[in-house]
Amino acid sequence: MPLPKRVVEPIHVSRGTVPDSNEISLPSELETVTNGTLANTIRQLSSLSRHAEDLFGELAREAHILATRANSLQARLDKLAIKTTQLDSTVEEVLFIVSLQEIHMRKAYKSAAIFDQQVVSRDTMPTAMLETYDQCDKPPPLYKLNPYREDDKDGMKFYTDPGYFFQLWRQEMLKDTERMIHDKGKKPHKPRSADNSGGRHKKKVRQPHNTRERQRQNAVKHGEYIMPNAETIYAPSSIHANYEYEDDSAISSLSNDQRPSRPNSIEIKRNYSQHVVDGNKSIIYSPTSNQRYSPTNIYYRGNYVPGMCYDETTLYQQHIMQAQQQVLSPSVTNGHVITGMMSPGMLNNEMLSPSGTPTRGSKSNSVRPSQPPPAPPSATNSSSSTPSANTPTRGRSMSSGRETLPPPPPPPVEINTSTIPPVDLPPPPPVVSQSPTSCNIPPPPPPPPPLPHATAITNGPSSIIANGDIGKSPIKPIISTTSPPNRVASPKQISENNINSAAPNTMKLKCNGPQSDPRSDLLKAIRDGITLRKVEKIEQKDNDRVNTLHDVASILARRVAVEISDSESGSEDSEYDSEGWAEQETTVH
Amino acid sequence: MATVHREAIQKQIQQDWANREYIEVITGSVKKITDFLNSFDMSCRSRIAVLNEKLTILERKIEYLEAWVTKGETMN
Repeated sequence: MPLPKRVVEPIHVSRGTVPDSNEISLPSELETVTNGTLANTIRQLSSLSRHAEDLFGELAREAHILATRANSLQARLDKLAIKTTQLDSTVEEVLFIVSLQEIHMRKAYKSAAIFDQQVVSRDTMPTAMLETYDQCDKPPPLYKLNPYREDDKDGMKFYTDPGYFFQLWRQEMLKDTERMIHDKGKKPHKPRSADNSGGRHKKKVRQPHNTRERQRQNAVKHGEYIMPNAETIYAPSSIHANYEYEDDSAISSLSNDQRPSRPNSIEIKRNYSQHVVDGNKSIIYSPTSNQRYSPTNIYYRGNYVPGMCYDETTLYQQHIMQAQQQVLSPSVTNGHVITGMMSPGMLNNEMLSPSGTPTRGSKSNSVRPSQPPPAPPSATNSSSSTPSANTPTRGRSMSSGRETLPPPPPPPVEINTSTIPPVDLPPPPPVVSQSPTSCNIPPPPPPPPPLPHATAITNGPSSIIANGDIGKSPIKPIISTTSPPNRVASPKQISENNINSAAPNTMKLKCNGPQSDPRSDLLKAIRDGITLRKVEKIEQKDNDRVNTLHDVASILARRVAVEISDSESGSEDSEYDSEGWAEQETTVH
Repeated sequence: MATVHREAIQKQIQQDWANREYIEVITGSVKKITDFLNSFDMSCRSRIAVLNEKLTILERKIEYLEAWVTKGETMN
C-alpha cells in the first residue's frame, strides 16, 4: 500500500456543495454545485501550492547542504592541491620510506565518514507526512499499566513496538557474526596445536588437568561420589587418633569410620573442602565420599586454581603430593616430617617470616625475586614438629611451642624433604603406611623434591593468597597459632569430634582467612595481574560490543570486518594463539 | 409557456456542462501541476542523491589523501 507523502485536499471537490437544508430556496442548484466545486478546486490549488512550497523548500535545503559540502570539498581540494605542489620528489620518497620519527608524526588515519542510518525513522519522516502522522490517534496509554506487570515488560510493546524489526534484524545479524567468529576461531586452533611445538607442550601439561576436572565434573553430574585423595586428607586426623593404638593398616578403617559422622556439621564440610583443595590435582573417585561435598569441592578448587595456573602442573602435582605426604607423615611419625609440611604455611605467615632459613629463601628467590622471604617456615616447623607428635590437639600445642621456640636449623628441613620424595607418587592411603618407614630410612634422592615444593609455593599466588585459599593441610597448624579466633572456634569442633578437632580448627581458620584478609586479596590480584588484565579486556570487548552494536552501521561494519578477517585468518595465527591461551586459562580457572 | 420553461432548463444544463468543463480544466491543470511537482521532486531528489553519493566518495577520497599527505600538522 503506497503511503502518500503529501495529500492535496480536499479530495472530493464536488461533494457537499449543495446545502442540505431546504430552507433556502436555491435559484439554481447546478450553479451552486459548480460554484462549490470551483471553490474546492481553489482550495486544492492552495493546498497544492503549500505542498509545492514545502517540496521546494526541502529540495532547496538539500541542495544547500550539498552546496556547502561541495564548497568545503573544493576548499579542501585546493589546500590539497597546494600541498601536493609543495611536495618534492624527496619528500615523496619520505612518504614511502617512513622514518621512525615520522611514524610518530603522522596522525593515525581515522575515517570521519558518518554513515546514514535509521533512514526510515521518526526523525527522518518528512514534515508533510509528519502532519498526517500527527493526526493519527495516539496509542492507548498502556505504559501506565507497567507498574502492575509482573514480568517487567513494557506493556506498550504489545500494542506497538517501533523497534521490533530492527531488533529482529539486529539479533539475526549479531548471531550470524558470532557464528562466523566462532567458526573462524576454531579453524586456526587445530593447525596451531599440530605445528606449534611450544603450544603443544603446554597443552600437554594442562590437558590432563582439564580432562580430569571435566571427568570429575561429569562424574559429579552422574551422581558419582568424588573423593579427592580423601584418604590422605582424612588420614592425618584419623592417624592421629589411631597412631597411639597401633599400626598403619588400622588407619584406613578408622578414616572410613569417621566419615559418616562428618556430614552432620558444617565445620566438617569445610574440612572436607580443604582436603579437596589439597587433593585438587589428583582426584580419586571413591564411593565412600559424600556427594554433598562435591559443590564445595568445586568452589574451593575455583579459588585455589588461579594460583595453580602459574606453576608447571608437574611441579604442582609434585608439590601437592609432597604436601599430602607430609601431612600424612607428620601425624604418623616424626617431627621433622611435620616440619616439611609446615613450611608452606610458614611462608604465608608474616610472623614466622623473620626466622626464615637461608636455603629456602634462596630457592624461592631464584624462582621469583618478588617473593617475600619464605624460608622461616622450616625453622618454626621443626619446632612445631616436636609438640605435634601424637596429641589430637596438636594445633594448639604446636602454636605455643612455635611462638616460644627459636628458629631451628635448616638441615632438618632438608632431611624432611629427602624423606618425602619416595613417598610422593604412590596413592594416598598406601602412602600413609609408607611414610613412617620412609622417615626412618632416609632415601637417596634428597634435594630435588624440596625445590619443586618451594618453587610451587613461590610461584603460585597460593603462598600469598593466604592461609585459607591454599587450604593445604600443612598450613593448618600455623594458622591456628597465628589467629586467635580460630582457637575460639576449635572448642566446638572438639566437642563434636575429638579426633578431628585439630584439623577442623585449622580448616576453619583457613576458610575465614582468605575472605577476611584484604591484603592477601590484593597480593593475589597482583600475582594474577596477567590474567586479570585479560579478563578486563574481554569484558571491555563485550561491553563495547553491547554498546556499539545498537545501530545499523556498526553492526554491518563489524560483520564486514569479520568477513574480511576471515579471509585473512591465516596471517592472524599468533593472535588466535593468544586468544586460545586466554580461553584455556579461563577454563582452567 | 412550457417551451419557454424547457428552454430555460436546457440552458441551465448547457451552462452546467460548460461549468463542468471549466472545472475539469482547472482540476486537470491542478493535476498537471501536481504531476509536475511530483516528477520534479523525484528527479531533483534522485539527482541530489547522486550528487550526495559523489560528494561522499569525494570526501572520503580527500580525507584519505589528506591523511596521506599530512604529517604532524593538521590539515584543517
